[in-house]
Amino acid sequence: MLPPKTTNDGFPTPTSLSQSETEEMLIKHIPDDTSQKKPTLDKKMHMSFLVRNLVQGFPERYISQDASQPWLLFWTVQAFSVLQVGLDPGNKQRIIDKVLAWQHPDGGFGGGPGQAAHLLPTYASVCILAIVGRPGPGGGWDQIDREKMYKFFMSLKLKDGSFLVAHHSEVDVRGIYCLLMVATFLDLLTPELVEGTASFVASCQTYEGGFASSSHPSYSLSGDVLPPPAARPPLGEAHGGYTFCALASWVLLQPYLELSQEKPTIDVSNLLRWLVHMQGTFIELGGFKGRTNKLVDGCYSWWCGGSFALLEALGVGGIQNANSDEVPIDSGTGDGVWDDVDEGLYNRMALQEYIIYAGQHPTGGLRDKPPKNADAYHTLYCLSGLSSAQHHVFPSHLRKKQFLDSWKSSDSTKDELRKRSFGSILSWIEEEGASHILGGTENRLNATHPLTNLTITHTEAITAHFYEQDVPAKQRSAPTPTRAAAATA
Amino acid sequence: MPRKLDFDDSLFADLPEWADVTPVEQYEGVNPVAPIFYTPEYTDATNYFRAIVQSGEKSERVLDLTENIIRQNPAHYSAWQYRYETLVSLLPTPTPSSHPLLTAEVELMDELAVLFLKTYQVWHHRRLLVQITREPQRELDFIKKGLQVDSKNYHTWSYRQWILGFFGGKGSISKEGDEEIDEDLWASELDFVDTLLATDVRNNSAWHHRFFVVWACGVREGEEDRERVLKRELIYAKQAISLAPSNPSAWNYLRGILAHTNTPFSSLVTFAEAYAYPRESVDAKQRDIVDLENPLPSESADLPCAEAMEFLADAWEVEGGQEKIDAAVTMWTALANERDVMRKKYWEHRIRDAHLGLRGGQKKTTTA
Ligand SMILES: [Zn+2]
Repeated sequence: MLPPKTTNDGFPTPTSLSQSETEEMLIKHIPDDTSQKKPTLDKKMHMSFLVRNLVQGFPERYISQDASQPWLLFWTVQAFSVLQVGLDPGNKQRIIDKVLAWQHPDGGFGGGPGQAAHLLPTYASVCILAIVGRPGPGGGWDQIDREKMYKFFMSLKLKDGSFLVAHHSEVDVRGIYCLLMVATFLDLLTPELVEGTASFVASCQTYEGGFASSSHPSYSLSGDVLPPPAARPPLGEAHGGYTFCALASWVLLQPYLELSQEKPTIDVSNLLRWLVHMQGTFIELGGFKGRTNKLVDGCYSWWCGGSFALLEALGVGGIQNANSDEVPIDSGTGDGVWDDVDEGLYNRMALQEYIIYAGQHPTGGLRDKPPKNADAYHTLYCLSGLSSAQHHVFPSHLRKKQFLDSWKSSDSTKDELRKRSFGSILSWIEEEGASHILGGTENRLNATHPLTNLTITHTEAITAHFYEQDVPAKQRSAPTPTRAAAATA
Repeated sequence: MPRKLDFDDSLFADLPEWADVTPVEQYEGVNPVAPIFYTPEYTDATNYFRAIVQSGEKSERVLDLTENIIRQNPAHYSAWQYRYETLVSLLPTPTPSSHPLLTAEVELMDELAVLFLKTYQVWHHRRLLVQITREPQRELDFIKKGLQVDSKNYHTWSYRQWILGFFGGKGSISKEGDEEIDEDLWASELDFVDTLLATDVRNNSAWHHRFFVVWACGVREGEEDRERVLKRELIYAKQAISLAPSNPSAWNYLRGILAHTNTPFSSLVTFAEAYAYPRESVDAKQRDIVDLENPLPSESADLPCAEAMEFLADAWEVEGGQEKIDAAVTMWTALANERDVMRKKYWEHRIRDAHLGLRGGQKKTTTA
């Protein structure tokens, strides 16, 4: 039986018409009940799509992304990582050399050689180096000019705590996420750098609960920015991509906020509500949309689906946030006891169906939705979203403690913030035995770190390098309480 | 000076007026992984651009060069950035808004914005320009046309909101002099939203803009009576819901204004109840009573409406007490098992959270 279509209440408008066209298309991708075919992630085919891009290159239409060369390469090499594929040393070195050609003489990285430094390609470049780089000469890590990077960051900072993405460019939360991520990796976080930033991020939350691209200050007649509680409207509506960036920024800023007088707040309940409502219904195969009343799109599997893991750092969802005493729930199914909180607050299985049934392009690579073409961007974010739906990666108090206990002090006055940021970013681990993989283990992807979208191993290695710390071995541990059943297919 | 125009297929390398510049290859002497297959025209123009960036030249021919690159790749942010710096260095301060370089730039942007509607940079460049021209009304008129083509374009909307926020309620500077024109930029914003929502009551961008105009920017002239404004907006949202009840944009707006004004959801229980149950259970007699405060769902509406069910449960949860919580749990259960099964985990989470609240426990999801 096919799932019901979205109603238009007998009142069609352009939005309901394109919704219904999309449903007509998606319905063809729902396997019928009689089909015995297992849902399959065609890893080989996606591998050849990625190898084609890496080795042969990108066709002419990618000229439109010439200023995003770091992104093209990040999407490609990170997709390899998610697919559990490592690169050979020769290709790694060629990639490192290419990335270093993007570093700007005044700090930061540009979208290509000779291009201006910009926060977005800076993030993508550092992430690529986290994947393929290493310490020492020619390894990429020690060739990053951290001092100039910091100056570049400070040169973009505005009075309200926000940052331009590049000189003479726009302010938005994508840039803030990219900056905070890089500053966290490279041990560049200082109170001076992030003062006011959390308040700015908070101001981007809209009445819907998700976050907008930016917000705008109110000015006094003298032209000064008015302090809170002056109205500070978000620019643009709640949006999946900006929501991920704002929420991740918010989580990255927690170590600073713990130590600071700044106490901005966000409405987490409303954010959760907005996020769950971004998941499409069964006729949309449980894919995510990026805005209210828009269409499902594979990339929001990561931007929206991936945001749920971040909420766990704020105390929402996840087994470590559950009160251990049993609270009866009475939705008429199950055994009436809350025994599966760690399955998350959205439908993880349905999201996997969207990606496997609708997200894969028949000739390789993943996509927004059928009948669109695959591209490098959607290939990564569909895979990352799928990975995030398969695995439960959570901020472990135990793992954090391990890092804090092994911390080697440098006697620096800013040590406390460094230490907390380090312990916080590396506290994320995968819950063992908690994977829910549609189609069985052949479809398993590597788990990715919910904040960095790198593997946990890559995240640990580069961070430990720049903080000059060791990575303690993981203790085998399952968070309590014991799970009833780890339903790995 | 002869210009290299976009329809001209000669290369910068062939032009005598560029002979003094030595082009700079992108990857010198290396064979990079994952190359992009550039056209000869693109390689040529960007080779000259790299050379210009190195020399720091800021002249009129740089405007030609950057325009050429932008037409081939409107997302080339460095070309935009360099173009802006060049333009500023060529303009006198203060700049009369009638300066030919400036008016030419504005006209070019009108053309490019239409061609490259989805590019960040075209909109940001307009932002930089309008801070020189100080003609926000012209921008609002232009955006209006753009939104007719793509009524949910994120960049266009956020640019419109930036214009309104940046220039406040004040008017622009006239072309003739520095005298302020006393026109209210915001005067027609609500009419504009009305028009868009009349075309598509599900356009979430337009609903967001409504919230921006009415609530998010402080109080403007004529809107001081907030009680009257709230009443007007509630009726507006309810009427939109009655036309097409399963419209999350309208419900989110309704919830948004209630939260913004600290009005309890419970004040709208009567309204929501008419939408939250199967049609048969709604008393037929009710239809005869015309109640503007509580418009009923249209004849063709599909009931029960999940948004109304959720709204009622939320209202009851806040009201609290065993009876109300039980009612809320019944609603959430119906959502989880029948009306909105995709969000089953979330509805169960709400049930659990409400039970914790009832037992005096700490509710998990508030603010952080
Ligand atoms: Zn997408």
